[in-house]
Amino acid sequence: MSRIIACYKWVADEADMKINPDMSVDLSKAKGKISDYDRNVIEAAVQMAKISGDLAVTLTFGSPKAKLSLKDALSRGPAEGFWVNSEMAEQADGAASAKVLAAAIDKIGDYKLIICGEGASDTFARQVGPSIAARLGIPCVSSAIKMELSGNEVKVSRKLEDGIEIVAAQLPAVVCILPEINRPPIPGLKAVLDAGKKPTREYKIEELGLLDSDLGARNETIEFKAYVMNRKNIVLDGETAVDKVQALVGSLKKEGII
Amino acid sequence: MPGIYVYSDKVQEAAALIGLAAQSGKEVCCISLDSNQAQELKEYGPERIIILNGNSPLPENYAQSIAELIKNEEGELFLVASTVRGRELAAKTAGYLDCGMVSDAESLVFEDEGIVSTRLMYGGSVVQKEIIRQLAVVTVPAGNLQAVKKENAPVSIVSLEVQADPRVRLIETLPVKRDKIDLASAEKVVCVGMGLDKQEDMKMAEELAQLLGAEIACTRGIAEERQWLPVESYIGISGAKIKPSLYISMGVSGQVQHVVGIRDSKIIVAVDSNEKAPIIKAADYSIIGDMYEIIPLLIEELKKA
Ligand SMILES: Cc1cc2nc3c(=O)[nH]c(=O)nc-3n(C[C@H](O)[C@H](O)[C@H](O)COP(=O)(O)OP(=O)(O)OC[C@H]3O[C@@H](n4cnc5c(N)ncnc54)[C@H](O)[C@@H]3O)c2cc1C
Repeated sequence: MSRIIACYKWVADEADMKINPDMSVDLSKAKGKISDYDRNVIEAAVQMAKISGDLAVTLTFGSPKAKLSLKDALSRGPAEGFWVNSEMAEQADGAASAKVLAAAIDKIGDYKLIICGEGASDTFARQVGPSIAARLGIPCVSSAIKMELSGNEVKVSRKLEDGIEIVAAQLPAVVCILPEINRPPIPGLKAVLDAGKKPTREYKIEELGLLDSDLGARNETIEFKAYVMNRKNIVLDGETAVDKVQALVGSLKKEGII
Repeated sequence: MPGIYVYSDKVQEAAALIGLAAQSGKEVCCISLDSNQAQELKEYGPERIIILNGNSPLPENYAQSIAELIKNEEGELFLVASTVRGRELAAKTAGYLDCGMVSDAESLVFEDEGIVSTRLMYGGSVVQKEIIRQLAVVTVPAGNLQAVKKENAPVSIVSLEVQADPRVRLIETLPVKRDKIDLASAEKVVCVGMGLDKQEDMKMAEELAQLLGAEIACTRGIAEERQWLPVESYIGISGAKIKPSLYISMGVSGQVQHVVGIRDSKIIVAVDSNEKAPIIKAADYSIIGDMYEIIPLLIEELKKA
């Protein structure tokens, strides 16, 4: 029995984002959540492990705030939760995150499959999974919509621009999945209660043989601003639905659109 | 030789990247995995083309070879078109090089103090501007960039034998046959969202689209979950980006991941029963109401007009 590791990111919920009048972004009041695609990641690991008899575990690199994520992640079925706890996670770019996760995976050991989401809901940079694979020196398959373990390989269906491609990767491997791969159920009350009793393991950066100075962002962010969309925002009014529709047609004529 | 390296598995996008890289005034080296493609790319006048000969049909399996090449030649930047293959290849290459990476750069400007890039975050609601001062990999959605041919430019072409990673092997490709949907150049678009109750109600959208001469598009759920329209029909950060003169939505809430794809529309019209739906803030004109009442009335009005 070896491990199937589901990597997830604990992100600020964009629904709680506040935009200041100067267009700066305030996330200080935002609640955390498991990044959207990563709920599919955890479900995929649980499903795969059920079939292969392996052990599904989760791994996250997050600041102390991410402690909250462990119970949430484990309520979705995995047996054990690993967490690299560092303030550096707040500033980490893709290179730093991949470096930390690869080091943690190495430390956890005895793994046959690493599952990542194609992209996180905050950055959507789609780089951490392949970068982990490069750093561990193992193969990677991205854009996965179906996967299956067979022998010492994982067989994956990938969604490309112009079709589906089926490939097989030697294990251990990293697979980055699209949300189409499954439909994660909402954990039931019992699963939530059981999650609190499951083992968790916390790592510090130093235990992974890394220093904070290894984790600085490679590129300097010089601006982080809300996107402004200037639209007319006219809500068409009228006594009846017919009036509103006529007002719309009138406006579109005036715009020269119809 | 220090300079900018470009790659795409799609020839047109590689050609566009050559032009983008040339804006830096630095030497442009185009990496190709196919000698026929290399001949086509010659026309776009990169200073060099390096053809990597290996024995895998999967471009992603060349990431390590590319990383070694860029390292040995002390390259400054690796530009890759944001296709599925390109993104994976780029991220692996950045991993092997242990360098920074900017994904899906919306803009890239070569300045004296560095390369300034912008990209979208949080589904499109935030713009992050970064400055690149050291070796980096950048992916660019190159489909919208113009490729320009350069007559009679001297191009040096060399071939290198490399070892592709043998650990991922191709089993088969299943091309999907489809009607070509070209939302990117559509003049008008009718967009249906999850507010639509039943697949047969698509008829209502089709009738409206036909009257307007519009293409039909949708949100991700309609394509991926309900599969009422092909996946090429959905608009947004992970789907199509459109720039029509008119976009009309019906039953679309307007989450940012969708709206990011319609920002370049001239006029945005929303029909939604929820006055608090974000689409109302993103629209020029909205009607708050039940689309099952509004759309048939709109169809009637348009028939009269
Ligand atoms: C990383 C990531 C990437 C994503 N990428 C994309 C993407 O590229 N494209 C995309 O579309 N989505 C994307 N999404 C999903 C996106 O966040 C939204 O969930 C999705 O766009 C919502 O689709 P919808 O508006 O059709 O459905 P809903 O949000 O369910 O909205 C339905 C709307 O219909 C209205 N309605 C219901 N009944 C009626 C009626 N009878 N008459 C009028 N109005 C009615 C409701 O008021 C509501 O506003 C992404 C999400 C993530 C996390």
